[in-house]
Amino acid sequence: MILAWTTLPTVVMALGRTIALDGNDGRLVVSLAAAVIVPLITAFYVSRGGSAASPRKPAVAALTISLVASLVITATWVNGPEVALELGERLGGGYLVHVDGVTAMLLPFVAMVELAIVLVAPKRFLDGAATARILWGAGATFALFSTAHPLVLIIAWIVTALPTWKSTRATPGGHPAARVYATMMVPAVTCMAAGTIMMIVDPPWEPGGGSLGTAGGWLVALAVLVRKGIFPFHSWYPALFRGAPMSTALAATMPQLASYTAVRLFFGHADHGDGVGAELVVLSQLALVTAAYGGALAVVQRDLRGLIGTLAMSQSALVLAGLAGKLPMELNGAFCTWISSGLALTGLGLVGWALESRAGPLLLETPQGRFRDAPLLAGFFLLFGLAAIGLPGTLSFVADDLLVSGSLDEQLHAGLLVITATVLSGIAVMRGWFMVFGGPASVDGPRHQVLLRERVALTALLATIVLLGLCPAPLVRELERAGSELLGVPADGLGGAGHGGSDAAPAAVDAL
Amino acid sequence: MSPAATVIAAAFLDSLTVPADTTHAIVSVLVALQLAAPAATLVAIGLPALLDRPLSERATTRLVGAGFTAAFLAGLAMLVLLSLRGFVPEQVHLGTWFSVGHHDATIDLVADGLSVPYVCFSTGLCALVNAFAGKYLHREPGFTRFFILLTVFGTGMNLMVLAGSIDVLFAGWEFLGISSTMLIGFFHDRTNAAKAALRAFITYRICDVGLLTAGVVIHRAVGSGDFERLFSGVWPHGECLVPSSTATVVALLLVFAAMGKSAQVPFSNWLPRAMEGPTPSSAIFYGALSIHAGAYVLLRCEALLDAAPLARLALIVIGSATALHASLVGRVQTDLKSMLSYASMTQAGIIFVEIGLGLRVVALVHICSHAVLRSLQILRSPSALHDRHELEAALGGHPGAGGWSVVSLLPESVQRWMYRVALERGFEEMVVSRSVVGPAWRLLERLADLERAWTDWLGMSGAERAEARAERRLRGRSR
Repeated sequence: MILAWTTLPTVVMALGRTIALDGNDGRLVVSLAAAVIVPLITAFYVSRGGSAASPRKPAVAALTISLVASLVITATWVNGPEVALELGERLGGGYLVHVDGVTAMLLPFVAMVELAIVLVAPKRFLDGAATARILWGAGATFALFSTAHPLVLIIAWIVTALPTWKSTRATPGGHPAARVYATMMVPAVTCMAAGTIMMIVDPPWEPGGGSLGTAGGWLVALAVLVRKGIFPFHSWYPALFRGAPMSTALAATMPQLASYTAVRLFFGHADHGDGVGAELVVLSQLALVTAAYGGALAVVQRDLRGLIGTLAMSQSALVLAGLAGKLPMELNGAFCTWISSGLALTGLGLVGWALESRAGPLLLETPQGRFRDAPLLAGFFLLFGLAAIGLPGTLSFVADDLLVSGSLDEQLHAGLLVITATVLSGIAVMRGWFMVFGGPASVDGPRHQVLLRERVALTALLATIVLLGLCPAPLVRELERAGSELLGVPADGLGGAGHGGSDAAPAAVDAL
Repeated sequence: MSPAATVIAAAFLDSLTVPADTTHAIVSVLVALQLAAPAATLVAIGLPALLDRPLSERATTRLVGAGFTAAFLAGLAMLVLLSLRGFVPEQVHLGTWFSVGHHDATIDLVADGLSVPYVCFSTGLCALVNAFAGKYLHREPGFTRFFILLTVFGTGMNLMVLAGSIDVLFAGWEFLGISSTMLIGFFHDRTNAAKAALRAFITYRICDVGLLTAGVVIHRAVGSGDFERLFSGVWPHGECLVPSSTATVVALLLVFAAMGKSAQVPFSNWLPRAMEGPTPSSAIFYGALSIHAGAYVLLRCEALLDAAPLARLALIVIGSATALHASLVGRVQTDLKSMLSYASMTQAGIIFVEIGLGLRVVALVHICSHAVLRSLQILRSPSALHDRHELEAALGGHPGAGGWSVVSLLPESVQRWMYRVALERGFEEMVVSRSVVGPAWRLLERLADLERAWTDWLGMSGAERAEARAERRLRGRSR
C-alpha cells in the first residue's frame, strides 16, 4: 500500500512532463495537483472503509506525498520563476491557481503540520471517520493555499470549517465547543461570502469603485477577525482546544487560513499606495491587543489545553499584526511567526496530547509531577515551548526580531505590545512546564515510553524549527521576495521605505 | 620597578609585538572557539540525551571539561595577545545571520579589556565547577541534564560577555535566564523547587522587558544594535556617541534589566529561593557569574552611564538599598545557603554603587574576587556543615556564638525592631506581593473567569440556557 502511494509522485511527474506547460510551470501545477488531490482521494478511500484496521497508514502516505509535492513546489519556486504562476479563471483580481512566494514557502509548513498530527494522534482518536475528516480538511487547506480566486476561497472556508465542527461534535462532551465554533463560524463565513461578492460586483480598487465594494471589504475584514480569533471574537480558540480532539484544534488553527485570505484579498491593489488595505491596518491594531491579551490569559490558565489555546490565539494575532506592516521587514516577521509558531505550537499541542492520552487531563493549578513518568516528553515540551516564545537559535527568535524591529520602526506602541505579548507568553509556557512536570509524582506508575512515530514527528518538527533558526537566511530571503511582490516594491532596498531610524542614523553618527 | 627593568620589559614586549592583521585573524579564531567549544559540547551530550541514549557520567564530565578548558585556554591566549597591544578593542565579525532590506542581523563580537579577562574568568570557573559536579552529582538521576544546562549556561555566558551588539548580548542573556531557571528547578520532584524556579523566571522575564526595549531604542537611535555606534574608545574610557537623552533612556532600561538578574531591590526575593538547585549550580550562578551578569552589562555600556547622570544616581540608590537590605536580612538567616545568598546580594549591591560612582575597574576586580570567594564558600558549604556537626559532637555541645557586633551599641528597642524587619525580609516581598503581583494576578484570573463564563454561555443550547436562567432566578428568590 505504502509502496503504491510513494510511487504516485513519479507517475504524476511523468504526466506533468506531457502537459503543455513549460518545465517549471508544469512541475508547479503537477506538484500542486498531487498535494491537493492525493489527500482528498485517500479521504474518500478511508471514508469508504478502506484500511479500516489501520487508517493511519494511508493517511501518513498521502500526507507524505503532499509534503514531498509541496517541497518540490518550494524548490521549483526558489530556483525558477520570477513571477507568480497564474492559471485558470480570473475573478475579482484573483486566479483559480495562484502560486507565488507565499504559497511556495507556506505550503510545506502546512503539510508538515498535518503529517505530524496524523503521526502523533493516539490510536483511539484515529478511526476511519476521524482520519477521513483530517484528510478532507488537509486537502481543502492545500487547495486554499494555492488559489486567489474569491469564490474558491469562500468554498475552502466552508469546506475546512465543516470537518472541524463535525469532529468536535463527535467528541464526547464536545457539543458545547462545537456550538461555540458554529456560533462564530456561521457569521464569519456569511460575512466572507457577502463581502467577497460585494467586492467582486463593485471592486473598490478600480477607478470609480463605489461604496458597495468598500463595505464588502469591511465585511471580509470582519470575517477574518472572527476566523482568526481576534478580540472580541476570540472565545472559540480556547473553547475548541478544550472541547475538540487536539488534532482538530491544531488543524483548524495552525495553518491560519484567515491570514492567507487576508493576504490574497487585501494586498497589492492599486488604490492602496503602500500596498496594504486600510482594513488590514485596523485589523492589525485589534490583533496587537489580542496578542497581549492572549498572553495575559495564558498566564492564568487552569489546564494545559486552555494554555495552548490562549497561546495559539496570541501567536496567531501576532501574525495578523505583522501582516499589516508597511515594511517588508514586518511582513517577513509575520511570515516567520506564521511558520515558527505554527510548528512550535503544533509540537507543544502534540506533546500535551501524547501525555494526556497516557496520564489523563493535565491541570495547572498545582504541580502535577509528570517528569519522572515522561522525561522525554518533558524535554520536548520545554523545547517546543521555548521555541514558541523566541528562544535564541530557533526560528521564533528571528521572527520576534523582525516583528519587533519592523513594528517599532512604524509605531512605538505596536513594538511595546509585541514585547508584552512575548514576555507574557514566555511566563505562561514556563508556568505550564513547571505545573505539568514539576512537583512530587502522585502515582508510582510506569515510565511512559515515547513511540517511534511520535518521536519521528516531534524530532522532525523540532529539527525544522532549530535548523531554520540557526540558518534563517535562505528562508528570510525568499520571504522577502514574497513580501516585496505583495507590497509591490523591488526586492533590493526594501528596508528604505519608512525606515527612518536606519537610514538617518549612520549620517547622524558620522556627524557626531 | 627600576628604570632599567622598565626599559628591558618594554623592549621585551616590543619584540613580541604581532602585526595588527595577524592579531585580528588570531583573535577572530579564538573568539569563535570561545563560542564553538561549549556549543559543540552541548550538541555532543544533548543530542544523545534527546534520543534517549545519554552518554556515561565519565564521558559527559570529560567532554564538558574539555570544552570549557579549550575555551579557557583560548581566552588566555587572547588575553596575552591583547595585552601586547594595550587592550585595543578587536571587533570580530562572525558573519551575517540574516538580512532584510537594511536590517542586518550580524554576529558581531568584541575582544577588549573587559570581555577577555571576564571570559577567561567565567570559562575557568565553569571548568572547575564541572570537575566538582562530576563527583558531587555522581549517580544523581538528572546528571546529564545538569551538564546540558551547564553548557547552555557556558555558551550563553560567553555569547553575552563577548557580544559586540545588543542583539547578540540579548541572545546570551536569554540562555543565561533559561539555564538558571531550569537549574533552580533541577530537583523537579520538590514543589518548592518548581515554585522557586518559576518565581526566578518571572522576575527575569519582567526585567527582560528593559533589555528588549533598550535594544529597540538603540536600533531606532543608531540604525543597528552595534555597540560601535553607541560608544567608542578603549574600555573603561569609552566615549558616548549618542545624545544624552538617548543615553539616559537606554541606560535606565539597562539598569532595570540588570536589577532582575542581579537580584536588586525590589526584585531580590527570588535569590534566596534559588538555592533550591544543586550546590554546584548555586555556586556558579548565584555566587559567581549569573548574579553579576547585570553588573557586567552595565560595565559594557559604561560610556552610556557617563552621559546619563540620572542612571548613575539610580544605580547608587538601588545598590545602596540592596546592600543595606541584604546585609540586614542575611544576619538572621538560619541556613547557610540562604545566608550566603544574602551575602552575594549585598556584594552585588555594592558593585552597583561602584559602577554608579564610576569606579569601573574597582567594580570589575570586585566582581572577580567576590565570585571566586563566594563560589568557594557555596561549594564548601555542605562539607562545612558536616565539619560543624563533627565539631559539636566532639565538644559535646554548641561551640558558642562569638564576637561583638556593632548592633549591640544600638538601643534594645531598635535592635528588636531591626530583628523583626530582618525576619520579615524587610517586608519587601509582602509589599511587592500585596501592591503589584496580587492585584495583577487577581485581575487576570477574573478576566479568565469571565472568558470561561462567556464561552460556557455560548456553548449552551437554548434549553440549557433557559434552565440556567431559571436556576439563577430560583437562587435569587431563595436569597
